[in-house]
Amino acid sequence: MGTATGIIRALNSGIKHLAIKRFTLRYPEEKLKFVGDGYQFDPSTGVGIAGLKGRHMLFHDHCTGCQLCSIACEGVAEAIAMVKVPEEQKQNKKSIMPQIDYGKCVFCGLCVDACPFYALYMTNDYELSSFTKEGLIYTPAQLAVKPYLTQDSEIQITDRGATHG
Amino acid sequence: MTDIMPPGLALKKVDERIMTLNVGPQHPGSGHMRIVVQIDGDYIVACDPDPGYVHRGEEKMAEYRNYITNVPHLERPVIHDSCNVLYPYVLGAEEILGIEVPERAKYVRVICSELNRCIYTMYWLAIYGIFLGHSTMFMWPAGDRELLIDLMEKVSGARVTHAHFIPGGVRNDLPANFEDVCLRQVNYFEKRIKEYAAVFYDNPILISRTQDTGVLSRENAIRYGTTGSVLRASGVDYDLRVKAPYDVYDELDVHTNVMKEGDSYARSKVPWLDMMESCNIIRQALQKMPKSGSVRTKLKPNPKTKGPATVYKRVESGRGSLGCYIVSDGKTEPYRVKMSVPSFRNLLAMPNLLIGEKLGNMPSVYWSLNYWPVEADR
Repeated sequence: MGTATGIIRALNSGIKHLAIKRFTLRYPEEKLKFVGDGYQFDPSTGVGIAGLKGRHMLFHDHCTGCQLCSIACEGVAEAIAMVKVPEEQKQNKKSIMPQIDYGKCVFCGLCVDACPFYALYMTNDYELSSFTKEGLIYTPAQLAVKPYLTQDSEIQITDRGATHG
Repeated sequence: MTDIMPPGLALKKVDERIMTLNVGPQHPGSGHMRIVVQIDGDYIVACDPDPGYVHRGEEKMAEYRNYITNVPHLERPVIHDSCNVLYPYVLGAEEILGIEVPERAKYVRVICSELNRCIYTMYWLAIYGIFLGHSTMFMWPAGDRELLIDLMEKVSGARVTHAHFIPGGVRNDLPANFEDVCLRQVNYFEKRIKEYAAVFYDNPILISRTQDTGVLSRENAIRYGTTGSVLRASGVDYDLRVKAPYDVYDELDVHTNVMKEGDSYARSKVPWLDMMESCNIIRQALQKMPKSGSVRTKLKPNPKTKGPATVYKRVESGRGSLGCYIVSDGKTEPYRVKMSVPSFRNLLAMPNLLIGEKLGNMPSVYWSLNYWPVEADR
């Protein structure tokens, strides 16, 4: 193949893309859809349930304050600290619950694997940016809130290429 | 050389003409790494790669963590290839802990491993494109990589650092309806990477820049101990997935791509051919995978070992054979973890390839060696 033909073929394969829809998505308006409600773990079978490893969610009525999540995090990120919870909140005997510092968390989900009481799961919330370091520390009360999410964009594959529909 | 130059142009003696250049430690595209080159005019006369700027002490860190908590940090050296970089450690830890892996988990691992190999190779290809000034070849692989990242995100819940492999299997089962989505996106991915031939691999500009530069002969490739695509580009048919199959690779039909030239062009083309082979392996694995069953052997968060043991396991990663040597003294933490990384082995060939080349050919030779600085330093 000659040099000129090769260059024309290369340009031609790029020009074809003028007729193809764009693949990228407009992020703050459109958001990717994930499977499930986030990464969860079933201690009875020892197998996780597929989902995004985003911010955690803590179920206060299940948490016993056993610190297993904090111990699991020790070798990874040391992001989980056990803190005293106020009297008016639902609490366990020890009245301690995990507080997670998302400035340190690596979102590996080993704390979820360690919890034997179905108390700690992960959610699809990944937008955790904050102006201060303190804003990244989530107290047990903040972790109990279920995030409100609108995520509906998925990869669509058609004859004219792939798009985020 | 001073003798052949015209009298007016013969400036100085050879020793005084040679200039030392520091390429790096910061440069766009990869981790920090310095190449000290000595040039005579436009030609490289000596080259001294200087890795070590991104040393993180991963091996030492592994001695203070148990077999489970080692997982998230041991995949950090190559986050794009995080399943493969963790694979030998997980295989070794399973032998030390004495646990069996369910059959379905082995197939899930193969699928994740091949998806990660493609994700890594696409990133590598994007950087190779931009190293050579080919902006389209930066945009296309970086975009098409998203198809596979999306699949890995569905499986593991994270885009790059998956922490999905664990001693005893994988963290979670495949989501519902994954087989169809995977097949659709992998087929489209394969169709897309075939389009790269016209824009990149058959492009006369790329061919003129990479052909016959940095030629590594078959004998030298074996002598320097190179591995992976660099070795296969020099005509040595060596792939651990075929030569020493691990997990269920012996049940799959794996074909290796070999090129004889040993130049930068061959080294840049073999990973691209390997990606198509990876798509084949994923399709086979999806077909042969048991439709149901457990994917993880139940294990405590701090598992006990059976006693003192040493184990060496190796896998074929995106860059070549990656080994992990684990010594256990019977405690819950490993006594020593040593990684034998392909990046460092490929780096050893670099000084010999660059001598005599033009300085402008350095990026094409450097990045074609499939070298990832962070993995070499680990």
